[in-house]
Amino acid sequence: MEKTICIFFLLICLIAGWESCTKSYTPKIVAGNLNYLVVEGFINIGNDSAIFNLSRTVKVNAGVDTAVETGAILNIEGIDNKSFPVPELGKGKYGVAGLSLDNTKQYRLRIKTTDGNSYLSDFTKAKLTPPIDSVGYTQLSNGIQVYVNTHDPNNNTLYYRWAYNETWEFHAFYPSFYYSDGSAIQQRTPDLLNFYCFTNTASTSITLGSSAKLKQDVIYQQPIIFIPATSEKIESRYSILLKQYAMTSDEFNYWQSLQKNTEKIGSIFDSQPSEIQGNIHCISNPSLPVVGYIGSTNMQSKRVFIAKTDLPTKWVATYPYSCPLDSFLYCRPPYCINDVAAHLIPQPSEEVPTTAIFGSDGLPVGFLGSFNTCVDCTIRGTKQKPSFW
Amino acid sequence: MKKIYFLSFCFALLFKLASAQDNGKTIGVSYQQAGIVQVVSDLESKTGYHFFYNPAQFDSLKVTLQATDRTLAAVLNLAFKGTDFNFTIKDKFVFLIKGRQIAANLPPGFFTSTQSAAIPASTVTDYSTDQVQQKVAEATTENKLYEIGLRTNNIKPGNSTLAGYVRNIKTGEAVIGASIYVPDTKTGAASDQFGYFSLTLPRGKQTLIVKGLGMKDTRRRIILYSDGKLNIEMQEQVTSLKEVTISAEKVANVKSVEMGVNKLDIRSIKQIPTAFGEADVLRVVLTLPGVQSVGEATTGFNVRGGAADQNLILFNDATIYNPSHFFGFFSAFDPDLVKNIELYKSTIPEKYGGRLSSVLEVTDRDGNKKNFTGSAGIGLLTSRINLEGPIVKDKTSVIFGARTSYSDWLLSLLPPAYKNSSASFYDVNLGITSQIDDKNTIYLMGYVSQDKFRLNSDTSYAYGNRNANIKWKHNFNNKLYSIFLVGYDHYDYNVSSTQNAIDAYKLDFGINQYNGRLDFTYYLNPKNTIDFGVSTIYYSMNPGQEVPDGKQSLVIPQIVPQEQASENALYLGDKYDITPEFSVSAGIRYSLYAYLGAQTVDNYAANLPKTAINVVDSTTYGKGKVINTYKGPEIRLSARYNLSDDLSLKAAYNTLRQYIHLLSNTTSISPTDTYKLSDPNIKPQFGQQISLGLYKNAASNTIETSVEVYYKKINNYLDYRSGATLLLNDHVEQEVINTQGKAYGVEFLVKKTAGKLNGWISYTYARTFLKQDDPNAGELINNGNFYPASYDKPHDFNFNGNYRVSHRFSISLDMTYSTGRPITLPIAKYEYGGSERVYYSDRNAYRIPDYFRTDLSMTIEGNHKVHQLTHNSWSIGVYNLTGRANAYSTYFQEQGGVINGYQLSIFARPIPFVNYNIRF
Repeated sequence: MEKTICIFFLLICLIAGWESCTKSYTPKIVAGNLNYLVVEGFINIGNDSAIFNLSRTVKVNAGVDTAVETGAILNIEGIDNKSFPVPELGKGKYGVAGLSLDNTKQYRLRIKTTDGNSYLSDFTKAKLTPPIDSVGYTQLSNGIQVYVNTHDPNNNTLYYRWAYNETWEFHAFYPSFYYSDGSAIQQRTPDLLNFYCFTNTASTSITLGSSAKLKQDVIYQQPIIFIPATSEKIESRYSILLKQYAMTSDEFNYWQSLQKNTEKIGSIFDSQPSEIQGNIHCISNPSLPVVGYIGSTNMQSKRVFIAKTDLPTKWVATYPYSCPLDSFLYCRPPYCINDVAAHLIPQPSEEVPTTAIFGSDGLPVGFLGSFNTCVDCTIRGTKQKPSFW
Repeated sequence: MKKIYFLSFCFALLFKLASAQDNGKTIGVSYQQAGIVQVVSDLESKTGYHFFYNPAQFDSLKVTLQATDRTLAAVLNLAFKGTDFNFTIKDKFVFLIKGRQIAANLPPGFFTSTQSAAIPASTVTDYSTDQVQQKVAEATTENKLYEIGLRTNNIKPGNSTLAGYVRNIKTGEAVIGASIYVPDTKTGAASDQFGYFSLTLPRGKQTLIVKGLGMKDTRRRIILYSDGKLNIEMQEQVTSLKEVTISAEKVANVKSVEMGVNKLDIRSIKQIPTAFGEADVLRVVLTLPGVQSVGEATTGFNVRGGAADQNLILFNDATIYNPSHFFGFFSAFDPDLVKNIELYKSTIPEKYGGRLSSVLEVTDRDGNKKNFTGSAGIGLLTSRINLEGPIVKDKTSVIFGARTSYSDWLLSLLPPAYKNSSASFYDVNLGITSQIDDKNTIYLMGYVSQDKFRLNSDTSYAYGNRNANIKWKHNFNNKLYSIFLVGYDHYDYNVSSTQNAIDAYKLDFGINQYNGRLDFTYYLNPKNTIDFGVSTIYYSMNPGQEVPDGKQSLVIPQIVPQEQASENALYLGDKYDITPEFSVSAGIRYSLYAYLGAQTVDNYAANLPKTAINVVDSTTYGKGKVINTYKGPEIRLSARYNLSDDLSLKAAYNTLRQYIHLLSNTTSISPTDTYKLSDPNIKPQFGQQISLGLYKNAASNTIETSVEVYYKKINNYLDYRSGATLLLNDHVEQEVINTQGKAYGVEFLVKKTAGKLNGWISYTYARTFLKQDDPNAGELINNGNFYPASYDKPHDFNFNGNYRVSHRFSISLDMTYSTGRPITLPIAKYEYGGSERVYYSDRNAYRIPDYFRTDLSMTIEGNHKVHQLTHNSWSIGVYNLTGRANAYSTYFQEQGGVINGYQLSIFARPIPFVNYNIRF
């Protein structure tokens, strides 16, 4: 329904003027300091580590994003009364290496925080995640839609969640062959070139899928992310590491409500926000809300690459900055002003030489140059090639 | 002719009348093709009697007769046998007359005091009985004295009933809600939906003051002898500078027993500016005191703290389930056909039931009975046309209206991503009125509306209403009439998506309602008007089915079983004027609801939340089997006491039951909301309202003021569990929670109905709270405390003003202020799932910013020459003149890992509009 509303607003905004349709809004909230415990993670029944992040809610208008919870004592408890401590890794992160838990047993998480409160999650059945069949993309006129295919031959998984890490190679606007060492302009050696870089990002939205209403447990071309044709992500080579998690219907509902509450609120036809309780409870103070849902599953992942050569050549990435090219001469007529000495050599400088301008005698009379942000890709990435590249 | 009568009577009076008729003398006659002169002179000479007659009347009479030894009477009998000539013999005088007989004796008691004795009416000869049908007086003139009933020389004391129709003199259509008021006795009546009225008043000379919506006030002088009929023809309100009527029910405000009733005619509806310039019935309803909405882009409205589905919307007696077009920007009612609307907020007539909050009656005009006419309007997004005229002049008329949108030009301006979108709607109205005879009238209506929209060739939505009904009105006599109605109402929608062949689906929802109703109105005596009747509704509903669309689709067909129910009611009400000052209207409605098979109903463990794990078993019922019933009486009581001529006090108490529920957990009504019939697991809603009001008119009834207070309790109103799924759910009871509601408020209204400047100001203070404190429901909202409903807006102020600068130019200004709607706000944030998330407050604990809007419109009429091919007018205006960015909603959205708060405005700028209307 959110699309309906989209068009609906577009319509109105056409008449009314787009920019006036939505405005930033900061409500005056008088509520006190609501620092509820937030627990994120899952009991890993696979061979990887079980990682939990503990934090506290903060005021909406607080400057900080989140307040990490340190000093808590965590234990994974089995229904068979086995207990596995989860030590703190630092910065609110708690983890324990592959416990090789029995996936036929139920497990729960016990937390004791430094303020004396005890928290306990409900026992949950382990859900085994089936492997990802393929990650592909559909080429559309204005970009690509990355999708996933998976299935469970046992028709047992039904509820899925995906997260991903994207890595891509991109380049600066101008290649630069010279640099200033603070006293003179030097030619770049290959290891000082800063035209090609790598960068990465993790998923920030919740991607959920369900085959519960299909006859077979098949997920076919589930959209994961749309990359516009003008995105730098696909200007050279792109890679996505997709992580797949299976869930119970209860956990799925939790994520769905979380998704509804934070990603789909605000249109006329969207449902009213309402806080949904996860499966963690404060046992020392039952009225104290706790945020989070602790399921038990394993993760399946798959990495794929998409090369620029497989995409339309006419697709050109939009560079995020404006990049005028300027000339800097050693002797700019009529007063023979030395632009190079004035602008390029002193460090730090906003402007960086790209290529040399040669005089009729074959010697450089100056340089073409542009802004740092247009020349140096390391401002937004790293030259370090990832291990999987 | 009349002269002869008169003369005859004069003679009869002048001569002595005591002696008996001389029957003894016999005569013999012989006529061969004899003319009257010959016969009369012969008889005069033979008997010595004197004949009185009008020779012209008898010029066709030729008498051929042979008789001997007959009395004069016998001779005349033979002579006039087989003709329509009559004679009367009195003393020595013979009166001959065509067509009727003269009573030679005065009625008994003519010279005695009128109080002396009760005189049976039969002693008065009815001159009209010989005629098969007496023509009902068409009272068109103000100054003429109309004689009603059987004329007598001395008027009997006591009361008689006067009934008839109030009609528009130009088009012949009924004038609804016209008040016929007798100042001498302070009694009055209002014409009903057929323009019919019945009034019992003392016999004798009376003046009737007649006022109708959009009609020129008029009066009729009558002399009432006995029960009779009088049809009143009224002239349409001519646009005059001095007198512009918004509501003509000037006296009714104070004098009627009903309270919480607002009535508006299309004229005042058209004065109110709307976003796209097209007059909008529902938009105007929102300006009335006690009516609120959740926002601009919805036509759902909330009356006195009721939910949007608690309004019964009757369009020419057909139930409209979705009264909106085009995302709610237009209402489903074609403004060119609508005649008036009436909103009952408090006193809901006992003949209506099935919804808790209000009844909104939208009535279309009857077609013009005299001439073919039409009109057309052109707006930015829609065009409309209407045609009307007589099929049989003065008897049968037809009216037709159609509207369509052409908004695709607007959509083509959208960004490329939405290029393939489309949105359109149309609606078609047809009405036929046929007056078969004086006693029988048939009304036929048909309505079709359809909306379609598709978003970027992905998902298509369509919804529509289909309604038809036939009404037969039968007048048994002046005091009793009945209306028999059968009708069919239908609403459906479907959603389909074919973009992904594997997921392609088609989803349908539909509701069918078959209605039958028989209503009687009986004007028992001047003090009592009795209404009684029965009604039945049979619901047949497809609550939703999703089926695969295409061969590749793997979608499992998901079909929520069809639901059936019947809702029957019996009602009786009496409006009793105990004294001229004190009137009571008391009614009772007994409704019986039955949920019917075929159906499988889950049984839940007692005292446990209705969740999947608490299902004990299920019972399957066969087709037509009664699964369970709900029944109970509904009370409709109201009373009025006149403190003075223009000041009255009213009180009312109402109870109502609602068996059908709208399932929607979105902020506003959306096209994909479904309905649910009450079943063993979902109880009907029950509402009670008590209200009190003070009404005062001033400045010779041109200013009406009122204050009304109310308190309302609602039981079993449905709210939803967090994240409830309502669509395609055959266990809806697992997603809903029963809440108890309470609402109270006070409404002030000042209305100026006449003058160059007219309009109204209303202010409402109202609160609405819901509470879910049943621990067995599994989920307590806000710990079981009362929380404000999402349409709880305490302060609401409206101003509607119209100023007529000249005959051809008028300006309207409309101002609205209301407290912001409650919302649930994020009160904390945290990181989860790779992004910042928000933690929400208690339900509806905060409010969006207050709402304020001003609209301006101007109507420029073409010249007012009567004889021209077309009459045209322009309406030009600006919606949201101040350009205030009113928040429709506020929301918080995660974008790139950061939570931003946004306020969403729908009309954040002044929106100009223009509309061209043409009449022919």
